[in-house]
Amino acid sequence: MMIFRKTAVLAASASTLAMMAGTAMAGTVTWWSPNFHAPRATELVEQFEAQHPDIDIVIEETTSDGLPQRVITALQSGSAPDIIDVQHGWIAGYAQNGLVMPLDDIINDPDDFIPAALDYVRWEGETYGLPFRAEGLAVIYNRGHFEEAGLDPDSPPQTWSELVDAALALTGDGRYGFAITGGGEVGNTIFRSLPFIWMNGGSIISDDATEATVNQPEAVEAVEFYTDMLVEHGVSPSSTLENDGTANRRLFIAEAVSMYQAGQFDLASIAQENPDIDLGVMTMPHPEGADTSAILGGWSFIVPTDANNPEEAKIFIEWMAQPENMGVYTDTFPARESAMDMERFQDPQLAPYREVLPFTQPVPTHPAWVQITQAYFDGIQRILIGQQDAQAAMDDAALDIQDLLDQY
Amino acid sequence: MGRISPGLLFALPALIVLTMLIAYPVMYTGLLSVTDQQGNFVGIDNFQRVLGARTTPIAFTNTLWWVGGSVVLQVILGTATAILLNEKFPGRGILRSIAVIPWVVPGIVAALTWAWMFHTEFGIINYMLTAPGVIDEPIGWLTNPDTVMPAMIAINVWKLFPFVSIMVLAGLQSIPKDLYEAARVDGSNFLDETWHVTLPQVRPVIVAVTLLLVIWALNHITTIYAITRGGPANLTLITPIQIFRLAFESVQFNQAAALSVLFFAAVMVIVAIYIKVSSAREEKAL
Repeated sequence: MMIFRKTAVLAASASTLAMMAGTAMAGTVTWWSPNFHAPRATELVEQFEAQHPDIDIVIEETTSDGLPQRVITALQSGSAPDIIDVQHGWIAGYAQNGLVMPLDDIINDPDDFIPAALDYVRWEGETYGLPFRAEGLAVIYNRGHFEEAGLDPDSPPQTWSELVDAALALTGDGRYGFAITGGGEVGNTIFRSLPFIWMNGGSIISDDATEATVNQPEAVEAVEFYTDMLVEHGVSPSSTLENDGTANRRLFIAEAVSMYQAGQFDLASIAQENPDIDLGVMTMPHPEGADTSAILGGWSFIVPTDANNPEEAKIFIEWMAQPENMGVYTDTFPARESAMDMERFQDPQLAPYREVLPFTQPVPTHPAWVQITQAYFDGIQRILIGQQDAQAAMDDAALDIQDLLDQY
Repeated sequence: MGRISPGLLFALPALIVLTMLIAYPVMYTGLLSVTDQQGNFVGIDNFQRVLGARTTPIAFTNTLWWVGGSVVLQVILGTATAILLNEKFPGRGILRSIAVIPWVVPGIVAALTWAWMFHTEFGIINYMLTAPGVIDEPIGWLTNPDTVMPAMIAINVWKLFPFVSIMVLAGLQSIPKDLYEAARVDGSNFLDETWHVTLPQVRPVIVAVTLLLVIWALNHITTIYAITRGGPANLTLITPIQIFRLAFESVQFNQAAALSVLFFAAVMVIVAIYIKVSSAREEKAL
């Protein structure tokens, strides 16, 4: 019995120590920031800590590969950090499960935010994320290849038919004109193909989220246009079903691809890895007489419900949301209009990305959205492997999606 | 305190840990499967939803192919390798060490390496086939409906047949030499020896290893998820990946739990049948 008593004493003192450590920890905010944001995060934290000596910010770097799973595990386990950088689109799911705190009280000037960005992170009237980064995809092209193919690099294709003509002219000798994605994470293909559906006046689900609309003519026509890049025209690499955005960038850097849909974050790494490429950027071509479009992408801060120091965390992200700090932190564009005036956003190469921002839209916030996109993506892949044509594949996808919609 | 047997007292810490590690998760999964996201009781709703999804039967069929193909080839190849490595020849020690390598390589490293080797544009497999003119066009190993599942099975077989070899090799070395001498006196050749002496002697090992392989293959997620994520078009979607997708990509923990419970039950049935059949055979052999 001696042993038992001893253990009990040890356990008691251990828990006292833990409690003391707990009090000592007050004022320490743990922040999961992805590695591509980290260098600037460190810089900002130093500034913040100088102004708020009582709050200590600890940065833990994350990587985007597998991040959704890591975040959801942390949120579910109850031992989450105080702040996490997540993509806008993930937040609705967290909010429905009560895993994150509403942040309305620290969004001081909602009118200054890109409306689509705030729409993304709202759920049943409350705002569960603080958006700080916003972007839409455009098309990056190789100006040298344009000249070789006898195309004018200063007037890139504007419409769908011009895009196909240019892509056909650029394809040949092991080189592909326009790379689409058909592999990797589902999101890659959603971000690249859904804007084509929107431009054509279609959608995946109806606005009131009661009906699957992905097999209606406007959507099917757009899906066919997208998948025909591989199936009909062969202007997308034969490895399309294995390629995500990163693989396409690699092919572009290797000069095996002349045009592909990319984000502004791709510009720097292309310039670094193959400085010989003369880069051009254009907004995504649209059907005759329609506008361009893109999905609004980007990142927000969230504060988990189980955060240890939510109050300090909120003070910090409120500070981060100030235009000058947000402007420094973002990899692409800031989510606030007033931060856009900063010098670093005036680069002419970024102009098409800025041009597309007003035409960006959030994806629908629906509890089953991830499963809906999976059903749609499966349909796209059935077309790309040649199992079904666009209409049949989207009819099947619509069945799956309708099932999901009927559950809510 | 005195009335509690010391044996139980000594086992108690282990029992508590086991309860926490096994019983609690199993019960929690069961609880999740009959509630909704807010924790309200919903009966068999979650089960109906996962069974109603069109991907569920697809995943189930794929799982059968995946497990069957993997295990059969692993056992055949592993046993054959073991018998060869048991023969006396120069360099046997080195060869035995080399044969273990696939098993030692971490799963995720192996998966990503194979993904690159199978890649349509950059893959060395297509390069080796197109360069000497064996095939004209590169094959989309991971995108062609006919080749993607066999490619996954091939990787899994490559990864685990050394394990079978090691286990069987250990079994082979415990066979008494006089059995072979007796067989040789009766004029049997290598094939006769293998069929009538070696295999019956190592059968218990093979049975145990096969059972282990079936359970591993049923629960395996790394290879397929790292390479195709169950795609293209669900051609390599197996039930464990469907559960993973439901829980960690779609945040539908309750439906994922329901599917886990069904999968658990199915696996239990398979394992029970298997144990029953193999033990019956063993008794007959004795």
